[in-house]
Amino acid sequence: MSAGFQAVQWNARKLVYDGVLLAAVALFIGSYILIEARITPPDNALAWIDLRINACGVCAFIMLTIILSIGPLARLDPRFLPLLYNRRHFGVTMFFVACLHAAFMIEWFLARGALPELWTELTTMADYAKFIGFPFKTLGLAALAILFLLAATSHDFWLAFLTPRVWKGLHMLLYVAYGLVVMHVALGVMQDDCRVLVPLLLGGSFGIVTLLHVLAAWRERAGDRGTSHEGWIAVGPPASIPDKCAHIIAAPNGERIAVFRDGDQIGALTNLCAHQNGPLGEGRVIDGCVTCPWHGYQYRLEDGCAPPPFTERLVTYAVRLRDGIVEVDPNPLPPGTKAAIRVAAA
Amino acid sequence: MTRGHRAVHRVLWPLLAAIVAFGLTMALTLRPPPEDPGAPAPATEAQPK
Repeated sequence: MSAGFQAVQWNARKLVYDGVLLAAVALFIGSYILIEARITPPDNALAWIDLRINACGVCAFIMLTIILSIGPLARLDPRFLPLLYNRRHFGVTMFFVACLHAAFMIEWFLARGALPELWTELTTMADYAKFIGFPFKTLGLAALAILFLLAATSHDFWLAFLTPRVWKGLHMLLYVAYGLVVMHVALGVMQDDCRVLVPLLLGGSFGIVTLLHVLAAWRERAGDRGTSHEGWIAVGPPASIPDKCAHIIAAPNGERIAVFRDGDQIGALTNLCAHQNGPLGEGRVIDGCVTCPWHGYQYRLEDGCAPPPFTERLVTYAVRLRDGIVEVDPNPLPPGTKAAIRVAAA
Repeated sequence: MTRGHRAVHRVLWPLLAAIVAFGLTMALTLRPPPEDPGAPAPATEAQPK
């Protein structure tokens, strides 16, 4: 949170996450090289470099596929939320694996003393008019440039500097990078490797990522339809809001409001966490504070303020109990305004 | 995510998915046939992918 600055705020969960991640990457690349070398033993130094290029490329592609699947998976099933917790480290690790893939490719040309050939391949403009024969390495380099931008701005400093709204918009470029990577593989290795495994893995991964996003978006569509009237919005009897959890409603402008109940206290906060605009209403009340499911940022239910020494404040909404029904005024109050109410034991 | 982000997300994804799916299908369709196993090996090293 915002008290004091540390380059990276490490904790036990992050260390475990990163440890498992690095071990899995090393295991995958090592296993790939060993298995491929056993199936098709490399007969010269260039073939060994080729093997390393492929191992890192496949690893980076699988990592990118997993990263893009985490978001919709967490929306479809909260059991996947722990994967989302440190997704940025996953992304930065994937960028470094992709850099290794590119570095080994340059090493391959250097080993042959043919670096100018790479330059010629990238700058032969006539090839850009072709479909089969398109300089696919350019697609990979474009994706790598986007990944560099995203990795470089992944730190919380950039999140605060750019604001969560701009930062999130910028990081949607990852989808463009994924598209470029899929076409990099389709026009590259898939054209030379005639095994059915390549299009199967490529198409399968792309299909799974697309399907997950479509399913998650479909499920969320109803939540974006705001109410048609401008007045107080009925939520339901207090007991209809699960204790320590929220009922999410949509304001007339479509923005979401999280109505939490903590025992006999009911309060309404914006559904957007101040950190990364995470879905606060999908979190829980932990230690008396509303806790974001993404990275654990906490806010008091009564006024939307983070507990001291932290300084984040959320927009709150007026709440009332009318004829036994909880109602919320969709007009936002200034961040940090006390607005929660107490009701008879729910 | 804000409502704006969700709206961009819902437009961007199907558009990108359609373009990439089309590209992938074309790349698969226009893929050259497998080489004749009896043909002599190429004289130069294959490009890295």
